[in-house]
Amino acid sequence: MANTKIGVEEMYCNPQPLLWRNLLPQCGGFCVLMGLLLALNVQAAPRTPASDTEVLEKLPTRAGDNTARELSSLRAALVQAPTDEAKATELATRYFDLAMARGDPRYIGYADAVVQRFPATRSAPLLTLRGMLRQYRHDFAGALGDFDAALKQNPSHADAYAWRGAIFLVKADYAAAQQACDGLQRLERDVLAGGCLGLTQAYGGQLDAGYQTLQKTLDQAGFPDNQLWLLTRLGEVAAWRGQPAQAEAHYRAALALGRDDVYLLAAWADFLLDAGQPAEVVKWLQPWESADGLLLRLAEAETALKLPDAARHRQMLADRFAAARARGDTTHRAEEARFELRLRQDAKTAVRLAAENYAVQREPRDARILLEAAIAAQDNASAQPARDWLRSSGFEDARTRRLGQASGDSAKTGSTR
Amino acid sequence: MRWRQLLVCFWLVLCGPVLAHKASDSYLVIDVQGAQVSGQWDIALRDIDFALGLDTDGNGEITWGELRARHDAVAAWAFNALTLERGGACPLQVTQHQVDEHTDGTYAVLKFIATCPTSTGDVALDYRLLFDLDGLHRGLLRLDIDGLTHSSVIAPDSRRQTFSGERVSRWTQLQQFMEQGVWHIWIGFDHILFLLSLLLPVVLVRVNGGWRGVDRMGESVREVLWVVTSFTVAHSITLSLAALGFISLPSWLVESAIALSVVVAAFNNIVPMFNRLRWLVAFGFGLIHGFGFASVLAELGLPQDALVLSLVGFNLGVEAGQLAIVVALLPVIYWLRNTAFYRRGVLVGGSLLIMLLASVWLAERLFDLKLITT
Repeated sequence: MANTKIGVEEMYCNPQPLLWRNLLPQCGGFCVLMGLLLALNVQAAPRTPASDTEVLEKLPTRAGDNTARELSSLRAALVQAPTDEAKATELATRYFDLAMARGDPRYIGYADAVVQRFPATRSAPLLTLRGMLRQYRHDFAGALGDFDAALKQNPSHADAYAWRGAIFLVKADYAAAQQACDGLQRLERDVLAGGCLGLTQAYGGQLDAGYQTLQKTLDQAGFPDNQLWLLTRLGEVAAWRGQPAQAEAHYRAALALGRDDVYLLAAWADFLLDAGQPAEVVKWLQPWESADGLLLRLAEAETALKLPDAARHRQMLADRFAAARARGDTTHRAEEARFELRLRQDAKTAVRLAAENYAVQREPRDARILLEAAIAAQDNASAQPARDWLRSSGFEDARTRRLGQASGDSAKTGSTR
Repeated sequence: MRWRQLLVCFWLVLCGPVLAHKASDSYLVIDVQGAQVSGQWDIALRDIDFALGLDTDGNGEITWGELRARHDAVAAWAFNALTLERGGACPLQVTQHQVDEHTDGTYAVLKFIATCPTSTGDVALDYRLLFDLDGLHRGLLRLDIDGLTHSSVIAPDSRRQTFSGERVSRWTQLQQFMEQGVWHIWIGFDHILFLLSLLLPVVLVRVNGGWRGVDRMGESVREVLWVVTSFTVAHSITLSLAALGFISLPSWLVESAIALSVVVAAFNNIVPMFNRLRWLVAFGFGLIHGFGFASVLAELGLPQDALVLSLVGFNLGVEAGQLAIVVALLPVIYWLRNTAFYRRGVLVGGSLLIMLLASVWLAERLFDLKLITT
C-alpha cells in the first residue's frame, strides 16, 4: 500500500480551473489550499432531499440478481471459515473479475481487503492475486515479487507466468517477457503462450512475425473471450503494419462477438480517430461515458466534430482527473496527458504527465503520447526515453517512427542524437 | 483453469487500470477551534451500502427514505471508525444528516460537533473507516486547527496521524509577513526599478532644459518623501482591496502594466514629461503595483483569522524594504549629483537600460513569451 501514499503538495498541485493556473505559475501553499478547497468544497452544497422516495443512488447490483447472490454466498462462506485461503481467493478473484468486467475500481479495493488478511500466505493462487492487485496500482516490483513467490510454491502456475510476461511487456523488457512466454510454452498453455509471444514480437521490432503468431493462436483459440482479445490485438498490430483494411476487419470481427469490452472499444476508437472517422467513434462510444478511458475518446471525437456535448464531456473528464489526483492516484497519467494535449492544448502539462507515465509504463501507446506531447511542447529532451526505446526495440510502426524523428528534429538542443 | 479470466487480466495490465468510476474516498473536513470541534464527513452511499446494506427493498436503488431509516446506524458505524483527540478523546456527535453529489455518485453528509478535553495542544486523528472492507479506500482530510489548515490523505498504513496544534503567536505571524514583504520588494526587480527610476532625478532640478544638482539634501529628501509616500499610499489601497477580495484583475494585465510603469518612469528621465509631478506617476502606477503585491500575498496563503494582521505585516515589510533602498541610495546619488557621470551615465544611460529591460518584460508578459526570463 505504501506506494499509493504521496505528498500532499504533489497531490494538490495544478488544480483544474484555468484561472488558477494562470495566476499561479508555481505551486505554493496557496495552491495546496486551493486544491483542497476544490477537492473538498467544489460541490459543497449538501442538501436535504425533499421526498423519501427520491432515488439517491443506483447500485451496481440488485440484491436479488445472480452476481449479488453469488457474492453474498462467497462472503458468507468466508465468514464461516475466516482462515480458509481457498475461499478467500475465490471471493477476491470474483471481485477482481467484476472490476475488470465493469471497470469499477471499488471491487479492486474489496479484493485487496480480502487478500490483505493473509499477509504471510504461501498459496500460489493467493500470491498471484496479490500480485495482480499490486500491478493494478502500478507497483510492478511488488507484483513481480509475488509472482516469483507463487512460482516458487507451484512452478506450473501458469497465471503467474502470464502476468510476469504482461508486466515485462509494459516495462519494455522483451527478453524477460520472452522468458515468461517460454514458461507458458513449457506448460503447454498454447493460447496464453501465443498471445504472450505475439505481443513480445510485435513490440520488439517484428510486427510480421507477431502478426502471424497472433493469427495462428487465434485459430487455436476456442473461447469467445480469447478470440476477442486476440482479434483486438491483431487489429492493433495490423494498423501498425500499415494495413488499415485488415485492422478494421479484425476489429469488426471482435465487435461482432457482441461482448462489452472496454479495451476493445478503446482500441477501435483510437483506430477510427487515427483514420479520421470521429463520427463513427461518437456512434460507438455514446453509451460509455462512465468509463473514463472511453469518455476521453468520445470527447476527442466530439471536439473534432464540434458537437455540443464536447464541452460537457471535457468538464467531466477534468473533474474525474481532479478527483483521482486528490486521492493521490497517479495511474491515469497517460490518459490525462492525452486529455491535456488534445483537449486542453496544454502541451507543457501533457509532456510532464506523459514523461512521468513513461517512467512507469512503456508500451507503444505510452511512447506515442510522450512523443506527440514533446513535439507540441517543443521539448525534445523529454522524449528521449521514447526515442531510446524506438531505437533499442526496433518497433516498426511508421507513425511512431515518424514521431520519433520529428521529436528529435523539433529542437536541436538537449539531444545528443 | 480460467482461460477467459486470464486473458482478460492480460489486457488489464496492457491497458492499465480502466478508469471508469472511481475508487472509494471519503471527504472529511474538521475545524478545531480551541476545544470546540465542528465538521463534515461525506461518505459514498455505495460504500455505506457495502458495509451496512442500505437497499432494504433490494431493488438496486437507494432512496432518501431508505437512508433516513438507517441514519443512526450510519452515524454509529462512521463515528466508531473515527477518533479525534485533543488532550483526550473528543466524542463526536452528529448534528445533521444530508446528502451531496461527488464525481462518482451521491454521498451521505454527516455534520458533527464535539468538545475536546483541552483547548490547546496537538490534535490526533485515528481513521479506520472501510479499511477492513476496501483496501483502496482513502480518507481525504482537511483539518483546521485554530485557523491553521492541514491536509492529508489517510491510507491503511497511515491511519493514525498527529497534527501540531502549536499556536503561532500574532506577533510571530506579523513578523513572518513583514519578512515576506521586505523580501518581496528586494527580489521584485520590477518594483525596485520603478522606484529607482523615480528616485534617480530627485537629486537634480530641471533648469532651462538641462539638469542641475540640488543645493541642499533637504530638497531631495522632500521629493523622495512625496514619491515614496504616494507610491506607498497607492499600492496599500489596491493591495488591501485585492487581498480582501473586493477587486481582482487578470495577472497578465497587472504584470504587463507593471512593466509598462517601469518603461514610462525610465523614459521620463530621458525625456522629462512629469518633472515635479513624479509623485503623481508614483501614485498612479502604485495602484497597479499593489495588485502585484496582492498576488504574492495570495500565494503565501492568507490566514483567514488574521487577514488584517497579515495584510498590515506584509505592507509594513514592503515599506521597510523600500525605505532601506532609499536610505542606501540617496546619499550616494546626492554625492554624485554634480558629476557628468551621474547625469549622463547613470540618469540617462541607466534609465535607457531600465527601459530596455522593462520593454522586454512588457513584450514577454503581453505576448506570453520567454525572452530573458527563465
